[in-house]
Amino acid sequence: MWTLVRQESFKLTRRVSTWVSTAFLVGIEIVFAFLSRVYPQTFVPANMFESLYFSRPIINFYMIAATATIITMEFQYGTMKQVLYRRYSRGQVLVSKWLAIFFYTFYWYVMSTGIALLMKALLFRHTLSIHQGAGDGMSIFTRGLAISAASFVSLWLLLSVVFLLANLFRNSAAAVSVGIIGYFASNIVTQLLTILIQKWDWAKWNPVTMTLYPSMLSHPGYYQPLLRMQGWQMLLGNVIYIAIFLGIGYYVFNKRNV
Amino acid sequence: MSSILSVQNLNKSFGNKHVLHDVSFDLKPGHIVGLVGPNGAGKSTLMKTMLGLFNYDSGSIKIAGETVTPQKHESLSKVGALIEYPGIYPFLTGWDHLQLFADGDHQLIHIQKIISQLNMDSFIKRKAKGYSLGMKQKLGIALALVNFPELVILDEPMNGLDPEATKELRDLIISESQHGTTFLISSHILSELQRLAQDLLIIDEGRIVQQTTMHELLASQGKQTIMLMTSDDKKARQLLKKARFKTTPDPRVEVVATDDNTMPEVLRLLVEGGVDILDVTRLEGNLESSLLEVLKQSRIQKRLAEEEAE
Ligand SMILES: Nc1ncnc2c1ncn2[C@@H]1O[C@H](COP(=O)(O)OP(=O)(O)OP(=O)(O)O)[C@@H](O)[C@H]1O
Ligand SMILES: [Mg+2]
Repeated sequence: MWTLVRQESFKLTRRVSTWVSTAFLVGIEIVFAFLSRVYPQTFVPANMFESLYFSRPIINFYMIAATATIITMEFQYGTMKQVLYRRYSRGQVLVSKWLAIFFYTFYWYVMSTGIALLMKALLFRHTLSIHQGAGDGMSIFTRGLAISAASFVSLWLLLSVVFLLANLFRNSAAAVSVGIIGYFASNIVTQLLTILIQKWDWAKWNPVTMTLYPSMLSHPGYYQPLLRMQGWQMLLGNVIYIAIFLGIGYYVFNKRNV
Repeated sequence: MSSILSVQNLNKSFGNKHVLHDVSFDLKPGHIVGLVGPNGAGKSTLMKTMLGLFNYDSGSIKIAGETVTPQKHESLSKVGALIEYPGIYPFLTGWDHLQLFADGDHQLIHIQKIISQLNMDSFIKRKAKGYSLGMKQKLGIALALVNFPELVILDEPMNGLDPEATKELRDLIISESQHGTTFLISSHILSELQRLAQDLLIIDEGRIVQQTTMHELLASQGKQTIMLMTSDDKKARQLLKKARFKTTPDPRVEVVATDDNTMPEVLRLLVEGGVDILDVTRLEGNLESSLLEVLKQSRIQKRLAEEEAE
């Protein structure tokens, strides 16, 4: 099993896009850190740090693309058969891809947090204290971590859908577009969603609501009454939906002709 | 001892299209077995099903005594394969590929051995996106063989190989089979297969129509033909016709030998008729004509059986 995860990671590290996108993300963080230093009124240093200098949306796009391609590239290059006709079971092959993507998500979050801390140390040594309180008994730093954790979880909700679609369609364009639409959908339909939830309480348990988990944490007190959800309910909902989508994907992958 | 590969009553459909019908066969260890049949006969489908890539409707597939299904197939650790065309990651080097798919003990030794056996040193460290068709094919074959497995399944392995590479591959297959490796090889290059395979599985429309050895097939269909070069082909043809020898419609003068006496009789006839004989060649039965004959016979029989059933 770990051999397979190592092989998937090896393929990731050998792709030029991995390194180009890493450089791009670092660049973005540096640019926004400088903007925040020069225009602190527009780009408020505390908020900018909390948002990891704008890296989370970029990480989301990268991960949607990486998840779609880790499956579809095998079909595109005709390598899926070679990957499968070894002693490893189909389930192991798929789970190794999940794990590789899981660690890859981790890589992005750790890296962007590291860069954010570095930027803070270099540019805001005296002007920003990340340990100052930011409401809810959290400091700027811990709030940033909490939002990261929440967006990690709801990103995985999207990724579990992308895994499923990539398996069904073998086509990264379809999987990526649905992933990105999914990413924006939550913000677009929030209003409609709140109307529905005010009318029928059970409607809050739909998967789109769950993707608002990080927004809920970064705007404390705003979404909670609208969605009638507690943080732990959101977390639970996310985890359940992730399990459902991954489970369907697993079933489909095991059944398919390659 | 259980055989390395045993297939029993295998049936496979795509939707309502029945592609494999009750396919059964066993492979003898250390043999090179040719899988031949027309386009669309089901060769690739059979191989893919054996490798756990396709679900099947009924029957059993056993490799070294263990059942293979798409979900579970640990026994495939004993198998190497190349199906249809090699799957290649353009962003990896050939070496990376071999490292990725090498398994078990002595990986590095195996990788180096296969590279030198297939003569791939010159390009193995380059990114695969720059490979030619033949280089990709060689890499695909190397990936099938890198673990020196007990059973090797090759679908059209000679695709795109130059004569030198074809010979290298042939030598490699023969030497590995002498060390006990079993090969199942499908190919439309029958002359090549004729040199390689000891056993044959002939498949048509998803059914095994004959399981035989190369030797038996060539002997049974072995109509020998005598090819003549004479000083006067036209006259020779007339003489032969008059004496009621069976000739072929070919522009060359060819006589079908019905028994051992045909050759001396033909020669005497022509010499006595005043035709000088410049050269005589005996054409052995070849795989191509034998195969076409077997397929023709099996189709006729199938049609008769169908008509009877109606
Ligand atoms: N994935 C698939 N879905 C539906 N039908 C298929 C599929 N793969 C193969 N077939 C059908 O199965 C039959 C056998 O195809 P297969 O590829 O096994 O033939 P083959 O003997 O390998 O032919 P060739 O010599 O051309 O390679 C064909 O009629 C083909 O149309
Ligand atoms: Mg084929």
